[in-house]
Amino acid sequence: METPETRRGGASSADNSAAATDNTAAADDTAAADDTAADDTAAADNSAATDNAAADNSAASSDDPVANLIAATTDTVKLTVWASEEDQTLTTQLLEDFKAAYPDVTFDITLGSESESTAKDTILADVEAAADVFAFADDQINELVQAGALQPVAATYTYDVASANVAGSVEAATVNDTLYAYPMTADNGYFMFYDASVFSDEDVKSLDKMVEVAEAAGKKIAMDVSNGWYIYAFFQGAGYELTLNDDGSNNCTWNADGATDVAQAIMDLYGTNVLVDMSDEEMATAIAEGTIAAAVNGTWRAETASDAWGENYSATKLPTFNVAGKECQMSSYSGYKLIGVNPYSANIGWSMLLAEFLTNEAAQTARFEARGLGPANVAAASSDAVQADPAIAALAAQAAYATPQRVGGNFWAPAETLGQILADGSAGSDLQSVLDTAVEGIMAPIE
Amino acid sequence: MKNKKKFSGNYFKEFGTAIAKGDIGVKLSLLVMGAGYIARKQIINGLIMIALEAVFIVTCVFYAAPNLAKFGTLGTVQFEQVFDPLTLTSKVNDYDNSFLILLNSIISLCIIAAFIFVYIANIKAVYRLQQQKEAGKHINTFREDIRALFNEKFHITLLSLPCLGIILMNIIPILVLVAVAFTNYDQQHMPPSALFTWVGWKNFKQLFTNSTTLTFGYSFGKILIWTLEWAVLSTLTTFIGGILMAQFINSKKTKLPKLWRTLFMVAIAVPQFVTLLLVRNFFADSGIVNTICSNIGLTDFLKSMGLVSSNLTYIPFLTNPTWAKVMIVLINIWVGVPYQMLIATGVLMNIPVDQLESARIDGANSFQIFWKITMPYVLFITGPSLITDFVRNINNFNVIYLLTQDVYVTSDQLLANSNAKEVDLLVTWLFRLTNEYYNYKIASVIGIIVFIICAGFTLVTFTQTIKGSREEDFR
Repeated sequence: METPETRRGGASSADNSAAATDNTAAADDTAAADDTAADDTAAADNSAATDNAAADNSAASSDDPVANLIAATTDTVKLTVWASEEDQTLTTQLLEDFKAAYPDVTFDITLGSESESTAKDTILADVEAAADVFAFADDQINELVQAGALQPVAATYTYDVASANVAGSVEAATVNDTLYAYPMTADNGYFMFYDASVFSDEDVKSLDKMVEVAEAAGKKIAMDVSNGWYIYAFFQGAGYELTLNDDGSNNCTWNADGATDVAQAIMDLYGTNVLVDMSDEEMATAIAEGTIAAAVNGTWRAETASDAWGENYSATKLPTFNVAGKECQMSSYSGYKLIGVNPYSANIGWSMLLAEFLTNEAAQTARFEARGLGPANVAAASSDAVQADPAIAALAAQAAYATPQRVGGNFWAPAETLGQILADGSAGSDLQSVLDTAVEGIMAPIE
Repeated sequence: MKNKKKFSGNYFKEFGTAIAKGDIGVKLSLLVMGAGYIARKQIINGLIMIALEAVFIVTCVFYAAPNLAKFGTLGTVQFEQVFDPLTLTSKVNDYDNSFLILLNSIISLCIIAAFIFVYIANIKAVYRLQQQKEAGKHINTFREDIRALFNEKFHITLLSLPCLGIILMNIIPILVLVAVAFTNYDQQHMPPSALFTWVGWKNFKQLFTNSTTLTFGYSFGKILIWTLEWAVLSTLTTFIGGILMAQFINSKKTKLPKLWRTLFMVAIAVPQFVTLLLVRNFFADSGIVNTICSNIGLTDFLKSMGLVSSNLTYIPFLTNPTWAKVMIVLINIWVGVPYQMLIATGVLMNIPVDQLESARIDGANSFQIFWKITMPYVLFITGPSLITDFVRNINNFNVIYLLTQDVYVTSDQLLANSNAKEVDLLVTWLFRLTNEYYNYKIASVIGIIVFIICAGFTLVTFTQTIKGSREEDFR
């Protein structure tokens, strides 16, 4: 009882301080206008541009928004940026470059550490106190938009976000036809990596074949099916739908005719005890120990696998699986990391320019070079170095079967439990009622 | 109840008498609070009261009134923003933040309530001054009043700071919590971008009803039962374990008692969450304990006993509901016993030696002495702390959350549909609802219920244990 209480208490005081900053920012704007008005009382409206243009000698016209913004900025621009712990060094460098790109403006940029996967939790706790510019994983975009925590990308200034990045990433950054974020990486989905000494190129096309081969080799295959993110691969692959409604509830056909075959297929696959249900951390240990020869996971575990399997480390799209005699290609959630701008930012213009800077081609290339993260930028992704990366190539191959994650919060707990009971065989024989109960939970109305 | 009525009756009767019988100074105090003091030449007191009244009026006009005006609706103006691509600036309307309105309104109400209390006290005080004057008694100067606060009225000085702290840190948050339970504050209605509003008893109804899509009622029942089971089990096991441990270490036959005591203290010195997270990894499905059990054949033995389902290759220490519940209680014994041991050691050292001696002379053996003298004595001394332990265990967030978060997946679909797990306590469920699902409204209702359970239990047991002449009974 105490914990959320103090949280709210703390949050509210932060609310106040955030409101206070907003006010000062507003005051600054008027102060800037006042200054110029004092110099040139006649044309108060245009004074900001003309006055500073004269001083800068840069002939800024009101047609160039960036020049307008530079001209209108007289005080130090204070910004807070959140990037993941691993991204700190690179981001620090990019921030220095950004400052250098606008030499006429004094910046005071604070870099904070916030994992892309948990950014939503921190931001939603108090939107007004969150960073001006932050990185997040695209699965959080619905909830962030719903909470009003993302500034729409109404206009772009230094490069065209929508055309420079791969279509999937732009789709992932778009909600209800409005672009809400700047794609940063295109490697946050899942695919399969395997030990080529165990499986041949042919084997990895079918999951059933893989199970056979692995059993003979005394190895196991891991996929975290007791997790809504991964169980989606089976049902979506077999053609059953899961979509998001406008009110944040879900629409789900996982209990439609024939869906029990999918459930049965999952039970059979996991019943072999060759395909095993393992969480991400357990998988890391198991790969390192050598009990696992193939795993469905993301780039964040690719390094563990390539360390363990060395030369034999290979990656590819997800395999097919057998649903009542029919081979179905497993689907997946595509995953992107995006950069968002807080609409409550006091320096919205600079925040947008910084977000563009952190996601432009140069930045994405630098991010690949420094950390091996797959670029969303088309030009950056077409470089030979990127193409040669097995994980990124596998993601590209899987992209044809992947969909962006559009799902409401009620999906996760029922789907997790569904995966759990199918994998451990406790679902019983009445699979239809199991699926019905799961779908009821997934589709529970939001009030 | 009768006493209370009498008290409140007297309270307002005195106020009435003061107004009726007061002279012009007292009556003027109704309007200008310091007037009564000034009439008795207590100028500084008078000025302080006038200043207080002025501050209050300013607070009312500029803080309380604007917030309270919106208290009925919790705000009507939704956040709107217009972005100008040409200047890269955005214009934001003057929007309402429902949460701030709620919070500020509750603070305002507290301020108003406090003011009314001071106002009535003020009238009574100036009337008392009038009576003193009429009786020809000495009227304190300001300096004498201050001095009184450090002498005969020192209890007031001492208590005022803690009282203020309790109001700020406890009462106001609890009032906010109670208020949120009657709103629709959830992910669809998150300030500052969206507004939330009052919905009456709807959330309470939701928690106690059970439909195919809303399984809160079902989950609540299950979780409440496990919460109480857990509180009883964990309190009893650590209590008994602690006493036994202390008894063994205190025994004259034990060698190196200090060493043993220190060893157990080490368990306290390591931060609990580190221990718990490590233990969680030890007992994971592919953790070190499972590897050992499998190597020595324990896993297969348990399978043949039917304690582990035959299709598993590991012991589901923290992933099967029953196993997890047992493990949680056992692990809690391990982290909880040292604390109880410390308390019990202190108590055991203070047992009247004469009683033990006489029992021994009468021929009682160690076991009899322990049950007939030591235990009753320890129970008597630690009774109140046992009650607080029970309440603390109802809210024992750490052990349950750290051991099961990210590891335990429920296989009960109905629980899953309301984001609950078999091993959840009310408080961990509440935390997950707020922290992962932003369902503040239901979480507040659960919070209120936890509060009622804990407060009710504490009141009943405290009055039972402290009541009457228990001490004499024991002697």
